[in-house]
Amino acid sequence: MSTFTIILAVLAIGLVGAVLGYRRSRAFAFADGPKLHSRPVYHASYVASWAVIPSLLLLSAWLIVSPIVVYSSVSTSFPEGVLAETSLTEDLAYGIVESIGDGLRVLPPEERSTITDSTPVADVSSMLRARGVPIASAAADWMVPLALQLNSMQATSRLLMTGAVILLALAGAFWGYRHIQPRLRARNSVEGVVRGALIVASSIAILTTIGIVFSMLFETIDFFSRISPAEFFFGTEWNPRFSGAGSDGSAGSFGFIPLLAGTLYIAGVAMLIAVPIGLFAAIYMAEYADNKTRSIVKPLLEVLAGIPTIVYGFFALITVGPFLRDLSAQIAGITTGSYTSFIQAQSVLTAGLVMAIMLIPFVSSLSDDIITSVPRSLRDGSLGLGATRSETIKKVILPAALPGIVSALLLTASRAIGETMIVVLAAGVAANLTINPFEAMTTITVKIVAQLTGDLEFNSPQTLVAFALGMTLFFLTLCLNIYALYIVRKYKEQYE
Amino acid sequence: MQMENIQATLNKGPAVQAAKPTKMRSENVTVHYGAKQALNGINLDVPERQVTALIGPSGCGKSTYLRCLNRMNDTIDGCKVGGKITLDNEDIYDPSIDVVELRARVGMVFQKPNPFPKSIFENVAYGPKIHGLARNKNELDEIVHRSLERAGLLKEVKDRLDEPGTGLSGGQQQRLCIARAIAVSPEVILMDEPCSALDPIATATVEELIDELRENFTIVIVTHSMQQAARVSQVTAMFHLGDLAEVGPTEKMFSNPDDKRTQDYITGRFG
Ligand SMILES: Nc1ncnc2c1ncn2[C@@H]1O[C@H](COP(=O)(O)OP(=O)(O)OP(=O)(O)O)[C@@H](O)[C@H]1O
Ligand SMILES: [Mg+2]
Repeated sequence: MSTFTIILAVLAIGLVGAVLGYRRSRAFAFADGPKLHSRPVYHASYVASWAVIPSLLLLSAWLIVSPIVVYSSVSTSFPEGVLAETSLTEDLAYGIVESIGDGLRVLPPEERSTITDSTPVADVSSMLRARGVPIASAAADWMVPLALQLNSMQATSRLLMTGAVILLALAGAFWGYRHIQPRLRARNSVEGVVRGALIVASSIAILTTIGIVFSMLFETIDFFSRISPAEFFFGTEWNPRFSGAGSDGSAGSFGFIPLLAGTLYIAGVAMLIAVPIGLFAAIYMAEYADNKTRSIVKPLLEVLAGIPTIVYGFFALITVGPFLRDLSAQIAGITTGSYTSFIQAQSVLTAGLVMAIMLIPFVSSLSDDIITSVPRSLRDGSLGLGATRSETIKKVILPAALPGIVSALLLTASRAIGETMIVVLAAGVAANLTINPFEAMTTITVKIVAQLTGDLEFNSPQTLVAFALGMTLFFLTLCLNIYALYIVRKYKEQYE
Repeated sequence: MQMENIQATLNKGPAVQAAKPTKMRSENVTVHYGAKQALNGINLDVPERQVTALIGPSGCGKSTYLRCLNRMNDTIDGCKVGGKITLDNEDIYDPSIDVVELRARVGMVFQKPNPFPKSIFENVAYGPKIHGLARNKNELDEIVHRSLERAGLLKEVKDRLDEPGTGLSGGQQQRLCIARAIAVSPEVILMDEPCSALDPIATATVEELIDELRENFTIVIVTHSMQQAARVSQVTAMFHLGDLAEVGPTEKMFSNPDDKRTQDYITGRFG
């Protein structure tokens, strides 16, 4: 049975168990005797949990362990010395064996029965190729019996697993069903199951984060073993492309400062524009707009937040950039007489401006929610003392909403720092180090993309540097978020 | 219906006006929330330096009426007020009236204590600062201390003026809100069920306070407690389904009401 069918079967058993459990507890409810502790629904969930959870746990454990067991038993029968002679590694050989095994299963039964341990691999390959299954040219004769062995082991394992899982489901359902009695605290047990499920869900997020860090960590360490951290973190020149691949990167320069500066500069310009506008828009929506205006403006702003950033990038490239360039040419013409534009079409300003447009709905929507969640009683208290609306906002509402707003802003900053598409199109890919906002700069994220989309060797510093950049970016935003938490805590204490 | 209205008008006339001049007068005040009418023409005089209690079953429009008196209804979407309300013979709904100034003259204490998330000192200093009542730090200090003193809170909070006002007990918070209201030296103080969130002891403190405040302020209080109305007020007005059922001196209202609805309400037959 396929895994999916097994899961369906287990769920079906759970469902049947639930129905039976429901009826059994109902019977108790109407019989004389002790009062039912939990409602029948909980008894039903109780039986279903017993049926489904242990068996699905067994299923997933089996699915993880069984390939490992099969691998180790098949790979021990690899002929000794063969691997050393050919350039195959053990993993690669096993991969080929596996694909032969998979291919054999595709063959119709009468063709498969012609294949025995002694069939030469060439015959097998041609047969498989006829069915559209390509086999690596490194395949050797000794692999055929191993593929057959692999297949039979997998089949046995699957058979055992199906049996064990379904038996366990049945046993669980039976166990749960037998346990139903009026005083059974089914509600509390089900509550525990719900809690457990929620904990699992939240730890998945945490574990994934840790996993991401580790997946970058090894590559990052590899990178720093080739390029010294001092050169990376304090270098002011970014020019990795010029070092010849394989020459250990000594000729390239991996100075991270221009990228960091570009990232912070562009994000800073964007925040400088987006924060006041977004915040004022939020204040208008939350405090001044009547319900009708609000019900139109808020969804509109949220639509703006849903536009993919590449579209903003187009907008920057085609509209804003040229507009700023031409505008600066006009200004230069009027003031100095020579019509040379001092704003480049791709510049920090363009990227910051367009990124700000992207961030405004983000800022305003988050802050609006926070401002409207300030209790009305505070507003009334202030207005009732004869404060004007803007006094109320400035002195009561914003201070009360400040922790929330600050964390919203830091969240927005993380977004600005992580933004890529707008920067590629609006600020370019040149890693300059400049303080002139009218020139092109670039950011960490853009360079990560650039380093990972070449035809460079995957283990050259030119590629590995992407991981170092990613790691740095990760820590940058992590620090920002921790700072946001700290601010929220600090003000919470003050205001509670 | 008409009969009752006439009676009500007759009642209120001599008994109230003989004692004290009228501070706020309402003539035919109506309120609509959208299409729904919440008040159907209220005529009521609030005497100066007296406590006027508004009683009546839930949903009859007491809070709505109270909010008309300092135009807090302006802040509610879709709320329309009709008729005329005067403060010292000035129409408070006249376009020439500055609502901010009006609210400084007619202060409000709410049902649920709502101190600002600021220090105790800042809570009380809030109004005076906004209205520029103090010229320097010393004057501000003095206003804050005096207001806390009058609200009967100074002794309890003297040493912790810079702690957050939200950290006080419910009763203390409510007295802080009263201190905050009197710090702007209003002429009228509106209180909407100020004791409904308080225990009996805190209630007694606030009631004593109200009695003392009567010397300097005109007070209108909404209450659900007949005993409270009887204890603190000189005039009682009975609301019923958006109408003013009856108004008169508190003693008379509780011993010998004219209106059947008042009778039923204070004897606990409905509401
Ligand atoms: N903001 C509002 N929007 C719509 N209708 C409202 C609003 N506030 C009050 N009302 C309606 O107006 C009527 C009077 O309400 P109000 O709050 O004045 O009653 P109340 O006498 O203060 O009642 P309670 O004693 O329960 O506080 C009620 O029917 C209520 O549903
Ligand atoms: Mg009310």
